[in-house]
Amino acid sequence: MCIPDKNIYKPHLATIESIVDETPDVRTLRLVFQDEAVRENFAFRAGQFAEYSAFGSGESTFCIASAPTRGGYIECCFRAVGRVTEALRRLEVGETIGVRGPYGNSFPIEAFFGKNLVFVAGGIALPPLRTLIWQCLDWRDKFGDITIIYGARTESDLVYKHELAEWQQRSDVRLVRTVDPGGNGPEWDGQVGFVPTVLEQVAPSADNTIALVCGPPIMIKFTLPVLEKLGFTDNAIYTTLENRMKCGLGKCGRCNVGNVYVCKDGPVFTAAQVKAMPQEF
Amino acid sequence: MPKTITEQNLHHLIDALLAEGVRVIGPKRADALTIYAPLANGEELDLDQLPRRSAKEAFFPPCETILSFEKRDGKITVSDPDLNRLPETVLIGVRPCDAVAPGILDAVFSWDYDDPFYLERRKRTTIIGIACTSADDACFCTAVGCSPDARKGSDLFLVPLQGGGFVVEAMDGKGSALKARYEALLATSGSAQPLPLAVPAVDSLDLEKIRTWLAGNFEHPLWQEIASRCAGCGACAFLCPACHCFDIVDEGGEAGGCRRKHWDACGFGKFTMHASAHNPRDVQPQRYRNRIMHKFKYYADKFNQTLCTGCGRCIRWCPVGIDIKAVLDEINKK
Repeated sequence: MCIPDKNIYKPHLATIESIVDETPDVRTLRLVFQDEAVRENFAFRAGQFAEYSAFGSGESTFCIASAPTRGGYIECCFRAVGRVTEALRRLEVGETIGVRGPYGNSFPIEAFFGKNLVFVAGGIALPPLRTLIWQCLDWRDKFGDITIIYGARTESDLVYKHELAEWQQRSDVRLVRTVDPGGNGPEWDGQVGFVPTVLEQVAPSADNTIALVCGPPIMIKFTLPVLEKLGFTDNAIYTTLENRMKCGLGKCGRCNVGNVYVCKDGPVFTAAQVKAMPQEF
Repeated sequence: MPKTITEQNLHHLIDALLAEGVRVIGPKRADALTIYAPLANGEELDLDQLPRRSAKEAFFPPCETILSFEKRDGKITVSDPDLNRLPETVLIGVRPCDAVAPGILDAVFSWDYDDPFYLERRKRTTIIGIACTSADDACFCTAVGCSPDARKGSDLFLVPLQGGGFVVEAMDGKGSALKARYEALLATSGSAQPLPLAVPAVDSLDLEKIRTWLAGNFEHPLWQEIASRCAGCGACAFLCPACHCFDIVDEGGEAGGCRRKHWDACGFGKFTMHASAHNPRDVQPQRYRNRIMHKFKYYADKFNQTLCTGCGRCIRWCPVGIDIKAVLDEINKK
């Protein structure tokens, strides 16, 4: 007799329900679990991640990019850069992928009730915040002002373009889009400038406000001092670390930053927690 | 009265276990090497040398299938290996530096999520440890809290006697059960004295002091000094009884294949490399630092244990002569 329920490495099977090409090399997959019980019971919190597999090629780690408030499916968003992500990209609607998770900690959303939120994201790092953004928008009356500052190298590199358009239309969200200098086409109607610079210009008030920052290490490095200048304390700033993982379960030994295991202690950390870590990320 | 067993009866014990269908793993000669391997008969047991690789692979094989998959008519099915097929195993002739390690690794393999592959093997294995009577200049078990006659980790423990034979001590229920089952092979202790224990070269280290130093010296010239020459070959991790890092890879193709856990090593350049090619541990000294930190700080922080048993294999077989006990000794003196 097998003991399948004990195999912590065994993924659930999910069917690709739809595919959206966000940019020429970034793709969103919407996934529906094949097992009815899993479909009904799979629960996660914004910020958690999963291991997604293309059978025959292996597993990759991405956040769960859809919102916990949107049931019936989950989404992942990835750039095709390696063997597994290329294989995931070859899969078509109706085909099967494996999903293990959800793993890791999450954004303490309950602690954000009644506060203003400032989301700051760069490039392909919008997905880990997008899960939370939609949850907050679905629970809109629980929060104060919501500001989203999102930038990418070029217009083409902006992900979730349809949703950006939707957020721009909403009167209860302030969206500021920006592209790096030179990344703007003739039709571009957003800002031009690096995310930290634009953040400084937008200058959201730190009063009763939480900042949520996700982006490439260089963006984070220059964004944190700006937030500090605006009056945000390190405990009011949240980010996610995105280290390479294999097991996602605290065993395979590669995602640690000092004695902090990103897969178990993270991926969500406050700036205060990140600053207390050895500089190894 | 303590019980003893002659060398011949120890071989008979192995033969009796094999006859009952028990898998017996012990040190055996394989050409020039001694390795832990399944024994075909009692005569194959060779206790002269510390085996080249550690005994951890009895619980954590170098390569192990964790699931298999098949695609038929567009539909994928995934199946588990049948862990109930894992054989009842006796691991015999295990020196303390190897016997203590599985118990250390229990902590990580059961940390919130139970790894059934490791833990099922643990459940089905009885460890017969043996007091160590020969150390070489790489041995340093006593420096890290182990010792040549440490019983920890053994279910049954053998103490070699002058003139041959062993005292047989049961350390727990598993050991007592085995001892009782083969009572007929045992004799009541005579006057023979135990062989002198091995004497490892290094004195005891202050592991708490080392942990404190590591906490404050993530950035230190020492890492560069000792590890610039590290070749990143991973031999230290693969030979280590306590290194547990692994990779998960698919083998086969889209039509069918299996997913496996393979031993991995934090000394490998790609171990932590991101998809973007950014690498948090970009150069060899950072990787070696992680090795030391993981063993003597991180694992201690998390599980209150040191991830090193002092077996000395990483010193003996390092191709560039990096000596972990010299590193620890230097830290200890700081």
